[in-house]
Amino acid sequence: MLEILAQAVINGLLIGGIYALVSIGVTLIFGVVKIVNFAQGEFVMIGMYISFFLATQFGIDPIVSLAVSMPVLFVIGVLIQHFLIRRVLGLNDLPQIFLTFALSLLIVNLSLMLFTANYRTVHTWYSDEAFRVGGLYIPVAKLVAFVLAMILSGALWIFLHTTDLGKAMRAASQNRDVAQLMGINPNRVFAVALGIALALAGAAGSLLMPFYPAYPLVGQVFVLMAFVAVVLGTLGNVIGALIASLLMGVAESLGIQFIGADSGLIVVFMLLLITLALRPSGLAGGRRR
Amino acid sequence: MPNVGGWRFVVLGVVIAVMLVLPLVVKSSFAVDILIRVLLFSFIGSAWNLMGGYAKQLSLGHAAFFGLGAYTSTLLQIDFGISPWIGMVAGGFVALLASLPIGWLCFRLRGPYFTIATIATAQVLMLIFLKFRDFAWGAEGTTIPNLGHAPLMMQFETKAPYYYIVLGLLTIALLITARIERSRIGYYCVAIGEDEDAAEAIGVDAPSVKRQIYMISAFLTALAGTFYTQYIYFIDPQTAFNFNISIEAALVSIVGGVGTLWGPVIGTVLLETTSALLQSWLGNSIGGVQLTVYAVILMAVILWRPTGIMGYLAEVYARRRSKSLSLPAKA
Repeated sequence: MLEILAQAVINGLLIGGIYALVSIGVTLIFGVVKIVNFAQGEFVMIGMYISFFLATQFGIDPIVSLAVSMPVLFVIGVLIQHFLIRRVLGLNDLPQIFLTFALSLLIVNLSLMLFTANYRTVHTWYSDEAFRVGGLYIPVAKLVAFVLAMILSGALWIFLHTTDLGKAMRAASQNRDVAQLMGINPNRVFAVALGIALALAGAAGSLLMPFYPAYPLVGQVFVLMAFVAVVLGTLGNVIGALIASLLMGVAESLGIQFIGADSGLIVVFMLLLITLALRPSGLAGGRRR
Repeated sequence: MPNVGGWRFVVLGVVIAVMLVLPLVVKSSFAVDILIRVLLFSFIGSAWNLMGGYAKQLSLGHAAFFGLGAYTSTLLQIDFGISPWIGMVAGGFVALLASLPIGWLCFRLRGPYFTIATIATAQVLMLIFLKFRDFAWGAEGTTIPNLGHAPLMMQFETKAPYYYIVLGLLTIALLITARIERSRIGYYCVAIGEDEDAAEAIGVDAPSVKRQIYMISAFLTALAGTFYTQYIYFIDPQTAFNFNISIEAALVSIVGGVGTLWGPVIGTVLLETTSALLQSWLGNSIGGVQLTVYAVILMAVILWRPTGIMGYLAEVYARRRSKSLSLPAKA
């Protein structure tokens, strides 16, 4: 029994690392640009397809293809900020919500037309390998994904706290007007924030590819997780999003283990609704913008 | 200036007359099916518009009420033999009651996080109906027993009666909207939609107003759920709580023009016509075409015409009027 519990916790933590990459992106965009990106999951999906095609066409390992998916999605992020999001900043909720929502619909359905709804998988030499520690089973692919996800999250934290650009981003997220008075160019900061957030989503996609199928709707799972994690971890807070994502991974995994294979999402949504019911004040950022 | 008010009644009269005789003239069942879809989504869009358009509470979870309406009437019909006509109203009240706890939870959040919370509630309901098999057939769903021609059980052998039912529903929704537009609660909603804090500052009881408009919106949406289940003779959680219903409810209103009486109708006519044309042109072979086009239209509206088609028409009208008014001054 204890072993089953420990195994479920490990599984949850490992996938929680991937959720963290997506949530950190969502919370970064929300913190800096004040926009909720409904399309964040779709960039995970794009990252997955990039790795899938590099693996099947050129035999490049999905982990190595991180070096392609991250820069490509960074550029996509900058372009989206420049051509789309910039135009709705300062408007009311409706265009802000439905612009990224429309983007999500567009990307999902274009992918359905281009790639069909079929599941695509990449089988690497380590896809079926696992470490055995005591009675516990730790899949190599998931462990690699988790470790790299933590390294990327740590790198982002160091970037935000030590570089001028990172500090400018934090300043812009704390108070945009004052930051602008201090000579920070908001357009540049916003573009970099979008770029980094999308690059993280792309990284999540590449890291998933050795053990998770790619299909056009795959992003929805990750974006819903990210939204819940971002609310739980206080909006705009990178460390909060990271911890909440790991917890959500564990909660989902326990739900699957003890309630039923199809119950992971129920547990996560219930967690969100219960938090809203009991401690809306704990979600200070969600109440006021 | 011609008498605008008088013209408006003439136009409205012609529209009503055309709508009433349409199924007598149009014999193709494919065409009647499209007309029914247009009316149905105009109706759902109008229900959404009350809350999303006037009070700007941007829900993407109206499938919750659609599904509750569908399941209430179906359960009453299959387990107790109660007519869907009664079940429809019962479903409306179930949805109305459900909107209270859902609203209590979701209204704690504002803006995009309100939207996300509404998505979560609809998804939770779908997952519950998928999970609990003995309660309502689980994931397999069930077919509605076909009684042939049974008007009292909302079953007909031709499509025309369904057309008239959903036309009636849309008329009710439009009358309610028109009434609310000119009532105290309507003005309160608009004030909340513009700026909730400012509205509260001048004494609008925002939580109570939002709760009331949510109840009305939920009630109407549930009626559509019953109608749709009776129309397609089938129900399962994926159909009844389909996320696309939530999306389309919002989409038709935004494209047509949020917070306007006719916006959802005009938006639906545009979107459903485009979709029907695409379908007859490309066939059903390629998945995703319809929603791709919807997404492009939605994006274009948001970037270039955030007030929707109705807003654009109002602009054109105002420009022409100011031109005709300024002419004598020039002369």
